[in-house]
Amino acid sequence: MGSQQWGILFAQIMERLPITIAMLIAALILGLILGTIIAIIQIKRIPFLHQCMTLFISFSRCTPLLVQLFLVYFGVPQLLSAFGIYINDLTPFIFAVVTFALHISAYLAEVIRSAYLAVGEAQLEACYSIGMTYTQALRRVILPQAFVLALPNLGNTIIDLFKDTSLAFTIGVVDIMGQARLIIGNNYGLGMFKVYIIISLIYWGVCIIIEIIIHQIEQRFKKGRVNVAKT
Amino acid sequence: MTVFDWEFAIDHIPEVLKGVPITLLIAVVSIVIGSFVGLFMALIRVYRVPVLNQMTLVFISFIRGTPLLVQLYVFFYGIPALVEAQEWQVNPDKISPLWYAFIVYSMNAAAYTAEIFRASLNSIAAGQLEACHSVGMTTWQGLRRVVFPQMMIMALPNMGNIFVNLIKSTSLAFAVKVVEIMAIAKMLANQGYNFLEMYLVAAVVYWVICLLLEVIFHYTEKRLSIFKRAVTV
Repeated sequence: MGSQQWGILFAQIMERLPITIAMLIAALILGLILGTIIAIIQIKRIPFLHQCMTLFISFSRCTPLLVQLFLVYFGVPQLLSAFGIYINDLTPFIFAVVTFALHISAYLAEVIRSAYLAVGEAQLEACYSIGMTYTQALRRVILPQAFVLALPNLGNTIIDLFKDTSLAFTIGVVDIMGQARLIIGNNYGLGMFKVYIIISLIYWGVCIIIEIIIHQIEQRFKKGRVNVAKT
Repeated sequence: MTVFDWEFAIDHIPEVLKGVPITLLIAVVSIVIGSFVGLFMALIRVYRVPVLNQMTLVFISFIRGTPLLVQLYVFFYGIPALVEAQEWQVNPDKISPLWYAFIVYSMNAAAYTAEIFRASLNSIAAGQLEACHSVGMTTWQGLRRVVFPQMMIMALPNMGNIFVNLIKSTSLAFAVKVVEIMAIAKMLANQGYNFLEMYLVAAVVYWVICLLLEVIFHYTEKRLSIFKRAVTV
């Protein structure tokens, strides 16, 4: 009975892993787009927007994600209802993805910005000197290098985001954490320890897999990179 | 109904502020305990102490690879189960939720500080400890008088980040029924459906704490960088 029960619980929770992964990927893609835009604003120092984005980044990084999640889930509908727009029908999943995307975009913007700046102004000048336009230089020289530089930080941000998706159950998303809570609710609170052990092992496993994937990508892209000291 | 009830928000700021001491208490206790344990683990990792090294690796991987919320739940339900199984003369229901928070947050801080201390230790040249030996210090004396002070200065910026992250993550302590800033805001919000107001107040409180800490850390770093320069010159 004992081991069988563990197996059933494991299978039940694993059923919801696609929801967690979908949340992760959707938020990551949205976050990357937003983060890139914010990074461009920060690098170019576009007057008014620059200050706004600095404030946004500070807010995103300095307040707990849980507060942001509640602000978006409870606050935004309240705000919009005053203008006659009702968005209460939207699923919690969408609120969760939007919150995570906004949250992560602040982190990604910093990652992208620092990677871009790390490549250096000299490379851009070298591109200009051989007659490339800015877009050409960006696409052929700057971005490939910046991407490699950004990879370790990008990996950490993705892992953090994956762990943060466990908060989505607080607004009613049934991801693996939500499923665990449901199982516990159905069992009248029995076997809670067991369920949480299983779920922590699932999170751990997926985290290790993400780590390995990122490490592999890093190794692949490192090949083309020649260290300054080696030339 | 107005969009944003300013009066309600401002009236309830003092109540939310009552949660600040608990938040700071959890963060300070766990960073202190976590630093000691983290330093110990960093030394284990640097010296590659046989069995302990592998155990530390697994511990750090687990803490960094699972959400804090899950860890809180595991210990919140795991410790009472353990206490009951061992038939200790303790009533698990009587354990204050703060203890669970202290244990879990300290473990978290330990895992993260261990990695930072390890990196800082590795960046200090081995020659320094050899120099200590050559003037007759024991390894412990050398570590304590020469290596640790340098390590602390190098680790400080990252320690600041960890502390700010700890403050933010205390918002999850509701899972073990600790009443801090977030829990108070939630209760007040549920009473009158003033979600926007209360969560915004909570966000601002966290934000202000975080900005204050940043200023403090920046100032400390600047002061300590005097010693840093002295070392390199």
